[in-house]
Amino acid sequence: MNPIIVKGIRERLRPKHLIASALFSLIIASTLYLSAYLDGMQSKKVYDYSSKSHQVIEENPVNGARNAFTYLLGFQGFLLMFIGTGRVASVTAEEKESGLLDYQRMTPMHPFAKVTGYLFGLPAREYFMFLLTLPFLFHCIVIGQLPWLDLLQLYAVFFSSVILYHLTAHVIGLVVPRPRAASWVSRIAVLGLYVFLPGLGQAGISFLSFLTILPTYFGKILPHLLFIGENKLGRFEAKVAEFWQDVPFFTTLISPSVFTFFMQGLLIVTLWITAHRKWRNQALPAFSKPSAIALYSIFQFLLLGCLWMFFSEGKSIGLLGESFSMNKMDKTDPHLAFIVVQSVFFGLSILSILPLINICCPNQHLFLKGIQRSRKLALPKVPMAADESSGAWLTLSLSILTIFVHAVFATLINSSDLWTEPATVLDTILIPGIFLVSMGLSLQACRELWFNLGFWGFISLVWITPLFASLVIAVGWSDQHLGLILKLLALCPLSILPLHLLAEYPPSLILSDDVKASIDEAVWFGLTLSICLTLILHLQLYRRRKQGY
Amino acid sequence: MISVKELKIHYGEHVAVDSLSFSVAKGSVFGLIGPNGAGKTTTIKAIATLLEPTYGEIFIDHISVLHQPEEARKKLGYMPDFPPVYDDLEVTEFCDLFAHAYGLSGPERIQKVEECLVLTNLQDKAKAKCKTLSRGMKQRALLAKTLVHEPSVLLLDEPAANLDPKARIDLRNLLLQLASAGKTILVSSHVLSELEDLCDAIGIMRAGKMVVSGGLDEITSITSAERLIQVEVVSACDQLEACLAKFPSISKISKLDGTGKRFSLSHSGDTKDASSILTSLIQSGIPVASFHRKQSKVEDLFLDVEAGRMKKNFNP
Repeated sequence: MNPIIVKGIRERLRPKHLIASALFSLIIASTLYLSAYLDGMQSKKVYDYSSKSHQVIEENPVNGARNAFTYLLGFQGFLLMFIGTGRVASVTAEEKESGLLDYQRMTPMHPFAKVTGYLFGLPAREYFMFLLTLPFLFHCIVIGQLPWLDLLQLYAVFFSSVILYHLTAHVIGLVVPRPRAASWVSRIAVLGLYVFLPGLGQAGISFLSFLTILPTYFGKILPHLLFIGENKLGRFEAKVAEFWQDVPFFTTLISPSVFTFFMQGLLIVTLWITAHRKWRNQALPAFSKPSAIALYSIFQFLLLGCLWMFFSEGKSIGLLGESFSMNKMDKTDPHLAFIVVQSVFFGLSILSILPLINICCPNQHLFLKGIQRSRKLALPKVPMAADESSGAWLTLSLSILTIFVHAVFATLINSSDLWTEPATVLDTILIPGIFLVSMGLSLQACRELWFNLGFWGFISLVWITPLFASLVIAVGWSDQHLGLILKLLALCPLSILPLHLLAEYPPSLILSDDVKASIDEAVWFGLTLSICLTLILHLQLYRRRKQGY
Repeated sequence: MISVKELKIHYGEHVAVDSLSFSVAKGSVFGLIGPNGAGKTTTIKAIATLLEPTYGEIFIDHISVLHQPEEARKKLGYMPDFPPVYDDLEVTEFCDLFAHAYGLSGPERIQKVEECLVLTNLQDKAKAKCKTLSRGMKQRALLAKTLVHEPSVLLLDEPAANLDPKARIDLRNLLLQLASAGKTILVSSHVLSELEDLCDAIGIMRAGKMVVSGGLDEITSITSAERLIQVEVVSACDQLEACLAKFPSISKISKLDGTGKRFSLSHSGDTKDASSILTSLIQSGIPVASFHRKQSKVEDLFLDVEAGRMKKNFNP
């Protein structure tokens, strides 16, 4: 057995721990389960929206068990996903800070075995408490007559989610220095990545919704939790269950469980690569350049697959997505939907490029180390794929990938009958393309010129300050200084592309010629400034490198 | 066995270790001395494969630590300066965890753990939780864990820092025993007098650079010419200064208090000369209560280095 798992069992499952945790788990689970079971079992009146009348449901233990299932699942999730995740992150960070992790790092165990040991050893007590909830689950399944096959799918997704969350926590523990911070950062990251980010699924980018067990729960299990005597699910439940049915991906439909496995598997592989690298050597960047490109390509592929139907036929899923869907909107104004979804696409792409450049581009010392090593190994130059090589080619690749996917979307919408005006190549592809390349290269130069403080200082100065400044001016003097507000907005990469789209494809919102001209001017101003900044930064980088820093 | 060549380690803008080179022969004990922030711990961590150098090479038995860290780790046993242990594990379980992780199994593992606990005199605490141990005992538990996979190279960062006097003597004897069994030991310490008794060679670091390194006898011969001798007499005596004036090796006599009973002599001679001073004092009928050289030679050297009096590299 894995020695780190053995260590976890010895540390956290001694008899006194077993008694305390068993009491905790059994008392909470039995209270929750029995309360929900007894409440659900009783006869009650429910309102039927279709017949607009009250319906009487007879007393039935099946209903009790079905009612209790969700509460039990919630408690199981709390044990493994909330407590377990915090435990993995804080102990990993604690051991890293104290130096215990270094002992483990020095042992000849394979990094895969070490990560496995931490994932299953650290939350050993939480897994034990989970085990104690299983009798309630079996009672629930048998009495509630729940379908085994669907439950098997749900619990498979549940455990893949648990592994994903724990792995996220472990990687955060390896990266974040302080244990208490790591514990909270991991919980916030889990909430952000797997609860808030899936909210973007409602804007049509459906793959982001499939990082949790919710799609499988709502899509597969919720319809089976209907009470005996109840005709159909409530209005909200029905809407949610309908949303999480098969997922449109390119021109096909994929089952939510399969899609969830695919999405979670992808993230698990990504996090595993990071954990493996950090276990091998704490100083290594989280991703190598080739793995960053592979990861970003998959991300773009998923965006392409999920938005394909939207741009080709105007179909979209999600509560927000549906509202933005061209089918639902006035046919004369499809441009607004295009601008909103394209802006979300550009925003997500830019926010993904930023951390990849930060992680994969070398700072001064790493770059110098690369030169010295290549000299020692008698290599003509630092190999392109090495962590020490310049990140220019990586930045270009990421920008080109984004432009390619954007070009596919533009082609799809141009060839669909939803588009009312033909767009030029310059408008649709060239201007966003030049901007993305320029933005990427300026980020890369910053990263390679300065250390963390300089890099993040640049981001806050160029990305965030203009946004805040424009907000303040807009609140105070929007009428007098529209041009200035737009120019400030055009400085931020997150807002310049939506502005460009707004200028090039004005929706039938009332945009006066003056406003349109101001937007146009602001976009050119932002673009010119971005190119100048990139040239200056690269010139400085070139000079520094020539002087050997 | 250990060979460090042109090692450079940067922490951002700060250069922690700069062009450090030294080697440690198989079966010998090398002491790394230096003030806080000299780069000792950073150097040991780099040798232990836990820090990637900015530049330079480190070899353990001809295996490159940079290029084959997994191979090098099999030969290394590392003990950090602060002894972190798994608080909720028993001492046996703590050692067993690492014996298991290093691939030992079955009765061999149990036997090896017991041997290490006996070696570090922890057999009575085998079932105690690590969190109940004193700092000194934690240090010993850590040493037991370090020895469990029989590493051929031991990297010990301040191993005696938390030990009581008896435990220090035990540790010194244990390290000498391990060195005589063929293990190569690199040890850093602030307890300089102990390094003198333990090490075959030492290196003194300052601001990331090795200022002095070499065999103990060789480098103590280069210490600054003057050294302090403290003399205490039973009662104040006028003849003392006249008697000492005969010795050209004494450049200065300072009274240490107002009683005229305690003196400090700035002495540039060797131990033989110091002995003849003492003989002369006794023969002159001066009631000498104590006569001792204030510091060890390594301490003198260390102070010279710390005060910046020895600026150039000296590697005999």
